[in-house]
Amino acid sequence: MQEEIQKVKDEATASLREIRTQEDAENFRLRFLSRKGSVAQLFDRLKDIPKEDKPALGKALNELRSFVESEFDAARGSIGSTASRETAGIDLSIPGRKRYLGRKHPLTQTAEEIKRIFTGIGFGIADGPEIEDDYHNFEALNFPPDHPARDMQDTFFVKNPAQKDANQNGKYVLRTHTSGVQIRVMENNKPPLRVIMPGRVYRNEAISARSYCLFHQVEGLYVDKNVSLAELKGTISYFAKEFFNAEAKLRFRPSYFPFTEPSAEVDVNCFICGGKGCKICKYSGWLEIMGCGMVDPNVFKFVKYDDHEVSGFAFGMGIERLALLRYGIDDIRLFFENDIRFLNQF
Amino acid sequence: MKISRKWLQQLVDLTDIKDEDIAARLTMLGIEVESYENLSGKYDGFVVGSVLEVEKHPNADKLKLCKVDVGGEVKSIICGAPNVAVGQKVPVGLVGATVPHNQHDPDGKPFQLTRAKIRGVESEGMICSARELDLGEDASGIMVFDESATAGTPLAEHFGMNDTVYEISLTPNRADCLSHLGVARELASAFSRKLTPKRAKLREEGQPVVESAKVEVQAQDLCPRYSARIVRGIKVGPSPKWLSGAVERVGMRSINNVVDATNFVMLELGQPLHAFDLKLVAGHKILVRRPLQDETKFTTLDGKERNISPDTLMICDKEKMVAIAGVMGGMNSEISSETTDILIESANFSPSSIRKTSKTLGLSTEASYRFERGVDPNLTLQALDRVAEIIAETSGGKPAPGIVDVAAAKFPPTRVELHVDQVNRLLGTRLASGEIKRILESIEIPCDKKSETVMVCTVPTFRGDIQREVDLIEEVGRVYGYEKIADSFQTKLSFDFRFREQNSGDSLREYMAGAGFNEMVTNSLQPADVAGFHDQAFVQLANPISEDMAAMRSSLLPGSMQTVGLNISFGLKNMKLFELGKVYRTSNEQQIVGNFEETEKIAIVLSGIADPVSYDRKEAPFDIFDLKTEVERLLSFLKLDSWDFISYDTTKEYELSLKLFVKGMETGLLGRVSREVLKKFSVEQDVYFAELDLKRLLSLTGGRRRFKSLPRFPFASIDLSFIVDEKTPAAKMVEALKAAAGSMYRDISVFDIYSGEGIPGGKKSIAFTVALGSEERTLNDSDVAGFIEKAEKAFREEFSAELRKQKS
Repeated sequence: MQEEIQKVKDEATASLREIRTQEDAENFRLRFLSRKGSVAQLFDRLKDIPKEDKPALGKALNELRSFVESEFDAARGSIGSTASRETAGIDLSIPGRKRYLGRKHPLTQTAEEIKRIFTGIGFGIADGPEIEDDYHNFEALNFPPDHPARDMQDTFFVKNPAQKDANQNGKYVLRTHTSGVQIRVMENNKPPLRVIMPGRVYRNEAISARSYCLFHQVEGLYVDKNVSLAELKGTISYFAKEFFNAEAKLRFRPSYFPFTEPSAEVDVNCFICGGKGCKICKYSGWLEIMGCGMVDPNVFKFVKYDDHEVSGFAFGMGIERLALLRYGIDDIRLFFENDIRFLNQF
Repeated sequence: MKISRKWLQQLVDLTDIKDEDIAARLTMLGIEVESYENLSGKYDGFVVGSVLEVEKHPNADKLKLCKVDVGGEVKSIICGAPNVAVGQKVPVGLVGATVPHNQHDPDGKPFQLTRAKIRGVESEGMICSARELDLGEDASGIMVFDESATAGTPLAEHFGMNDTVYEISLTPNRADCLSHLGVARELASAFSRKLTPKRAKLREEGQPVVESAKVEVQAQDLCPRYSARIVRGIKVGPSPKWLSGAVERVGMRSINNVVDATNFVMLELGQPLHAFDLKLVAGHKILVRRPLQDETKFTTLDGKERNISPDTLMICDKEKMVAIAGVMGGMNSEISSETTDILIESANFSPSSIRKTSKTLGLSTEASYRFERGVDPNLTLQALDRVAEIIAETSGGKPAPGIVDVAAAKFPPTRVELHVDQVNRLLGTRLASGEIKRILESIEIPCDKKSETVMVCTVPTFRGDIQREVDLIEEVGRVYGYEKIADSFQTKLSFDFRFREQNSGDSLREYMAGAGFNEMVTNSLQPADVAGFHDQAFVQLANPISEDMAAMRSSLLPGSMQTVGLNISFGLKNMKLFELGKVYRTSNEQQIVGNFEETEKIAIVLSGIADPVSYDRKEAPFDIFDLKTEVERLLSFLKLDSWDFISYDTTKEYELSLKLFVKGMETGLLGRVSREVLKKFSVEQDVYFAELDLKRLLSLTGGRRRFKSLPRFPFASIDLSFIVDEKTPAAKMVEALKAAAGSMYRDISVFDIYSGEGIPGGKKSIAFTVALGSEERTLNDSDVAGFIEKAEKAFREEFSAELRKQKS
């Protein structure tokens, strides 16, 4: 009897390995575990066994049944997944299937990086309209009506359908800088304030590898008691180290903007040639990255801030310019063509 | 603007200072040096040679064998020029020198001279043409110098080109630096040197100026000062070398000894001057006035007839206009070879008037450029003396005694108070008052102490840009050196909620990129017809660069189509693209600025083969449902829980179009781009495009996210399939099933649509999976049966449809 129990166990173990489908499983069940199956048949024979042998054989039979049942459950459970377990003949060197991979535009990536750096040091974010009035784009920024500085800003004027008079067309412009947002922010908020203002701006310039009819700027403004040029330098230096690298060296050289006094242009040491001079930095060793300065008292007058009470600094940088430098792109038009082969590089 | 180092040297001693140090200091003073060139470097290895012998080349007819003295040494040089002759003084390039221009190279690339054999005979150098030396266009023969040239003199020295020329870029406030004197003043301060301006020495004779000519300024508002001198008995001719060289080195053309002298003084002092032929000035009278009614045309000395507008300031004589004030003189009074007596004008004109004239005429000159930016009104006399001195020296003329000087008023210096604490507050420095005084006085701004902390600064008239205390503070900072101001970075944290970025698209961009879309940034300027095609109320530019960019975009579709077209042209036909950007229109209502409405939109573009592109799966082109999927996924990402698509008529932009409503608000349009639009952009494959109102979408997502308990009981999933009329919209059936499920409704999807074999004609089989659930308990068979019964009934009544199959 013990031998027969072992025989059924061996047969069942062998058959279990063959189970691939539900049908196989059903056949196995019928053969071993049904009412007429081999396990039940062995149990049937128990009644003919001498009384003294019954406990041992009963135990062995119970063990057989639970072994077959549990192995069967396991085998049945893995039906279906067994197909994928086939490994022979699969060529794993076939490449994966191609799916679309999306990326944010390099200008977006650059703008987000700039926002991240400035929001990290306490700057908020504001925006303003692209079609701007003369007052916010020029007048309140201390551009006198006939100042040669307006030559520096080749401006697009917008036709004003509400005005029949052609002379009124000069009233609205496509903003030439984001500086107008400074005015809007100060008009609507009391100092102290610290804010950056990203956005699209327009220049009436011929399109070339170096200039486009529009670009994006990030303007910054900090007004509080005792804000100084030293603080401006420190803030911009921190930004440059974060944005370029910790070794970035800056140069502030005096410049002129109608809405800041004193004013400065900021150069970073050329990271392409290490300051030795190359084509990108026009052999100067320096790359111009932004304009900045202390808010001109006349601007404060326009927004009714007391320039004895508060002082402030402002800065403005071109996102395209920074992205061109950062990625080593040699043609600004690439940003606006959206060639997928270009977009995929960032 | 070009500045010559040799010229600066006349005004301030810089002998021991390197070229690059001058450049660096100027830049750090705010006078940006864009580049500089040591001119003599260009002619290293070139000398003046004296031709001693010319013989025919033994092996070539057209070549000559020359013996040339190059200063104590005789070189044997082969020359092919027809004009070479014994006794000539010529430019010679010696072995090792680089010839600036190769006449035989189409690009004219420079080349280096080597010891070369030409037809068997060695040449030890080269005699050059003007073209080869980059000194002119003449390439027909060698350049021949005046006999006085000395053999062996370095060529640069012979030309007076032992000089370094700086190209500087000036900001509009620094009109004082539009002259060598102004730049020299900055350098004197930077290197603590003394400025040594020229004092003119004149020997005047003849009839005094005041008796010989009259000046009357009628338009005093536009001409605060008019001064003039007369020089008689001049002989107009070529300038001496020092004079022509000086003006040429800084980029001006040499004309004659009189015009060059006026230009020289302008370049040295910054005062534009003009010389009239006195004989041609009717009545010897200068009248400064606006044109009379019939004076509308004037011929300037460049030979062009110009239209004169009534507010143009003119210089006139007794009978006629003779010059456009501050811009350009006239043909009718120009200096010629016959001129003997001249009247030199040294005037001051209103910057805005000159600016307007120059702009209207489209004529910008060295003079107008300076007047527009502001010239020191106290410079007129000094400039007249200096120019008279030079003209007397170079043309043999005799300056008449005195000057006519008509001025509206005196031009005193400006006095500005400066508070030491304000300087330090704004710059973030700790400068003592003595230090500040020293700095300002180094740029000729004397300071008088008023109290311990206040000084009164006397700003000379050549610094018209300094009017206020803050302007002086800038000067202190600039001259002290921005680089010496220590960085301070003690930004304190502030808790300011006013400027938190509202409705930023940043997270949306992140999502779209993750969903496989490439982000576009497209031009927001478009042709007017394109902008008008999408919206009649588009915004137009008054002064576009070109017709292609004459309007603001009214839709993101054209930019997207252009991008699709461009990529297809490069062979990239499959794409998922998106853009976040503004569209613009003129509204009927008042907006932040005028009536101009700017709306932020999101564009979604699908074209080509749908995901995934693979070797083992069937390729399928994108279709409208892929677009719908993307829009729905986006809406789900934004946590919007319900929306409706209303099928919409075919428009000129779309076919298969749908309008999207969220919470009852119209938020966008999507569809397949129409043939008409595809044709416009020469795109020959289908494009699926959605344009949604971003701001509206983001505002509808508003509100805080609140946690909902997770369902405790499992959902029951029921598959139902119906045979319905093929025109029955799926959305209606979805609504009916939702209604049948009532509060048990959890989710629904369509999993099969079929028509054909086994389905009667005009019918389709549609199968749904409906998820049901309850918050209180696991649903039992009777709940499910109840739902199926309701669904069946609804389908029977609403769509005359029969339940085909069910499975739960």
